[in-house]
Amino acid sequence: MGTYIVKRMMAIIPIFLLATLFTFGMMRLSPVDPAEAYLAAAHIQPTEEMLEQKRHEFGLDQPILVQYVNSIIKICQLDFGISYISNKPVWDEVTYRMPATIQLALGSILLAILVSVPLGFLAGIKKNSGIDYFSRFLAFFGASIPSFWLGYLLIFFFSVKLNLFPVEGIGTVQHLVLPSITLAVPLIALYTRLLRASVLENLQEPYVLFARTRGIKESIIMGKHVLRIAISPMITGLGMNLGKLLTGTIIVEAVFSWPGFGRYFIEAIFNRDIPVIQCYVLLAAGLFLISNLIVDLIQMYIDPRISRKGGHSQ
Amino acid sequence: MSKRRTSTQVLFIFAIVLILSTLLLGCTNESKEDSASNKESKNMLTIAWPRDIGEMNPHVYNPSQLFAQSMVYESLVSYQDGGELKPQLAESWDISKDGKAYTFHLRQGVKFSDGTSFNADIVKKNFDAILKNVALHSWLGFIPKIDQTKVIDEHTFQLTLTEPYYATIQELAVVRPVRFLGEAGFPKNGDTSKGIEKSVGTGPWVLDEYKADEYATFKRNENYWGELPKVKKIKVKIIPDAETRVLAFEKGDLDLIYGEGVISLDTFKQLESTGNYETSVSEPVATRQLVMNTKKEQLSDVRVRQALQYGFNKQAMVDGITSGVEDKADYILPTNFPYTSNIDAQPIDYNVEKAKALLDEAGWKLPKGKNVREKDGKLLEVELMYDSAESIQKAMAETLQAEWAALGVKLNIVGVELPVQVQRFKGNDFDLNFFSNYGAPYDPHIFVNVVGSEGFGFKEAISSYPKKEELLQQITDVLKSTDEKERQKLYSSILTSLQEQGSIVPISYVKKVAVYQKDVSNFTFPANRDEHPFTGISIE
Repeated sequence: MGTYIVKRMMAIIPIFLLATLFTFGMMRLSPVDPAEAYLAAAHIQPTEEMLEQKRHEFGLDQPILVQYVNSIIKICQLDFGISYISNKPVWDEVTYRMPATIQLALGSILLAILVSVPLGFLAGIKKNSGIDYFSRFLAFFGASIPSFWLGYLLIFFFSVKLNLFPVEGIGTVQHLVLPSITLAVPLIALYTRLLRASVLENLQEPYVLFARTRGIKESIIMGKHVLRIAISPMITGLGMNLGKLLTGTIIVEAVFSWPGFGRYFIEAIFNRDIPVIQCYVLLAAGLFLISNLIVDLIQMYIDPRISRKGGHSQ
Repeated sequence: MSKRRTSTQVLFIFAIVLILSTLLLGCTNESKEDSASNKESKNMLTIAWPRDIGEMNPHVYNPSQLFAQSMVYESLVSYQDGGELKPQLAESWDISKDGKAYTFHLRQGVKFSDGTSFNADIVKKNFDAILKNVALHSWLGFIPKIDQTKVIDEHTFQLTLTEPYYATIQELAVVRPVRFLGEAGFPKNGDTSKGIEKSVGTGPWVLDEYKADEYATFKRNENYWGELPKVKKIKVKIIPDAETRVLAFEKGDLDLIYGEGVISLDTFKQLESTGNYETSVSEPVATRQLVMNTKKEQLSDVRVRQALQYGFNKQAMVDGITSGVEDKADYILPTNFPYTSNIDAQPIDYNVEKAKALLDEAGWKLPKGKNVREKDGKLLEVELMYDSAESIQKAMAETLQAEWAALGVKLNIVGVELPVQVQRFKGNDFDLNFFSNYGAPYDPHIFVNVVGSEGFGFKEAISSYPKKEELLQQITDVLKSTDEKERQKLYSSILTSLQEQGSIVPISYVKKVAVYQKDVSNFTFPANRDEHPFTGISIE
C-alpha cells in the first residue's frame, strides 16, 4: 500500500508539468495582451508607452521559453508570482479565499451525504414505493435545474419572502445554508441514483440470498453488507466531485456573493491575470489528483477485494 | 423486517432533524442580527457594489474602485454641472499668459483624516510620486507635459508644463491619479505605485473596516474641512451578481443601488413600477456610438455610411432595448458637456427609401431574386463586433442586423470579450464596432485626442475622410489653444465634421440609474462620472 501511494504521488509531477505547459500555451494563444487587459479593466485607453511599461513589469517582453522556465522555477519554490491586477502575491490572495470555498464545498458534500445515503438506500430496498418515486423526482429535478436559477429561487422564497436567511455574504451558519443547498441538490440527485442502482444490483447478488438462508437478520444484511458494498460507487463519485466542487463553485459563489476562490478566478480570466490562472489550474489539478487518491484508499478500506486487485496489478 | 424498517427510519429521521436544526439555528441568529442592524440603520447607508473596492491607493488604477477613491481622496479642483470647474483643495488658481505655468493657492486649514496638515509640500510629494510613473499615466494628456513641480510657500504650489495644454485643470478634477495621500500613507521609498501604507486622505470619508470581497465600511472624517456628510457610516457590500443585488435590495438589506449597468434597465423599470421605491435617472454621462471603419471597402463611401444611418429606427431601438431609460442620441457627444452644444450637423432620421436610394446611387444594387446587394461581384456584407457581456450592445446588434437586412445589407454580428473588443478596435481589425466616450471630466478633450492619435482605432477608422488632414490639425490645435473662443470654434468644427462624415454614429445617451428605499433622501448624481454621490444623502 505504501509503494502504491508513493507511485501515485510521483505521477503528480508529470501531470503538473503538463498542466503548466497547457495553461501557458493556452494563455499565449489568446489574442488578448494581458497588459492591454489590465488597462481595459481600468477603463483607460492605453498609450503604447503604458503598454510597454506594463509588459516589462509583467515580464512579457522576455522570450517565451524564458518566461516558461522562470515560471516553473518559481512554482517549484511555491512562488506563484504577483497578480497583474491586485499587485499582491497570488498565493496570499488564493489562500485568503480558499477557506471560504472549502467551507462551502464541505457544507454541500455533508448535506448531499446526509440526504442521499438514506434516500438512495431506502429507494433501493423499497423499489417502486413512495420514497422511490420521490427519489426519482428529486433526481430529475436536481439534475435538470440550473444552479444559478435554483439559487435565485431559494433566495427569493427563503430570504426575501420568509426572511429566514440572509441574501448574501458569509460569517454565520445561516449564511451557509442556501448556497450549500444549491450546490448539494445536483449532488443529491446524482448520489441518490447511484446508490439506488447499486443497492438494487447488490440485492441480486448470491451473498444476500446465502445470508438470508443462514438466518442473518435482515437489518444486519442490509446495513452491514449491502450498504457497505453498495456505497462504493458513490464514494468514487464523491471523490470526483470534491475536486470539482472546490474548483467549480463559481456560479454559486457569484449568486450568493460568497467571497471564495471561484469568483476570484473568474475575474482573473476576464482580466487575463496569468499568474492567478496558472496557480488556479495547478491547484485544481492537485486537488483532483489528491481527492482521487483519497477515494481509492477509502475504497480499499471498505472493500478489501479492491485492495487485493490493486495489489496484484501493482 | 420491522427492525430493518426501524433502523433505516431512524437514520432518515436523524438526517432530517440535523438539517432542520441547522436551519432553525440560522433563523435565531438572523433575527438577532436584524434587530442590531435596525438601530444602526438611521446613521448608516448600505449600498452594493459589483467589485471589491481594492486597496484604496489614490495613485493606481486596478483594482481600486473610482467611487471609493473619491470618497477618501480629493483633487485640487472639482468638476460641476455643465463642465464648470470649482475650487476644491485649491481655493483659486492662476494660469500664466503662455499657458504653461499653473499656480494653485491652496485652501488653508485643511487636515488629513489623521490630523496632519494639507500644504504645498504634500502636494508636491504626491505629484512627484505620480511622476515616477509617467508612462503609466500618459493617457492623461497633461502628465507627460509636466516640466516642474514647485513649492512657492506653505499654501502655494506651482506646476509648469513644457507646452500649453488647456485641459490641465479638467484633468486635475479626475479621480485618479492626481489626488492627495497624507504623509503617513507613503511607503518608505516614496513609490506609491507598488502600494501604500494606509489610506489617509482629506476627503469626507475614512475607510473604517474592510474585508476583501465581502464589505467595506467608511466612517465620516470628523476632520473634514467642508460640510460633514449627514450619515455617519456607509457600508459597501460586495455583491457581484446583479439579480442578487436586486433581491437584497427588495429584502431591505440595501438602502441604495446606483451606477451604470449595475442592474438591468428592465429590472430598474420593474422596481420603479412597484411604487415601493424611489428612482432616479441621471443626465447623459456618455454616448453609445457605432464606429464604422472606412478602411473597409464597403464602408469607405460616405453614401453607404449615411444609408446605414437612415436605415434603422433609432428611436424605436433605443426605447425598446433600454426600456426608455436612455435617450436617442442626435450628436456624437452629449450636449451637457463643455463645448459640445454648438454643432451644425443635421441629425439623421429614419428613412428607408432614402437609405435604399443612397445605396443604389453608390452602386450597390440588389440583383433580382437575391437578398444582398452587390457591386462588381462583391456582396454588401459587413461585421459588427460587440461586447458579449453587455446585453444592450448585443440586443442593438441584433436589431441592426434585422433592420439592415431589409435594405439588402448583410450584417454579421460577433460577440467578443471586452479585452478582445478593445484590442481589435485598436488594431483596426473590425468593420463596425460599439464605442462609448469617457464622460465628465474627460470629454470632449480626451475623446477628440483619442480620435486624432495613432493606435486607438479611430484615426485608422476615419482614414478615408476627404478632410482628414484638416480635422487632425484642428484636433492638435484645440488642445494647445489658450483662447476660449478659439477653442469653442475648433470643437464645433471638429465635432460637426466627424458627424457629417458619418463614420461615428451616435445611438443613445448613456445614463446612470439609482433605486433607493423611501427613507433615503437628497440623492443626486455627481457631475463627475466617477465621483461618489454620498455627501448630501440622509436617511429619515
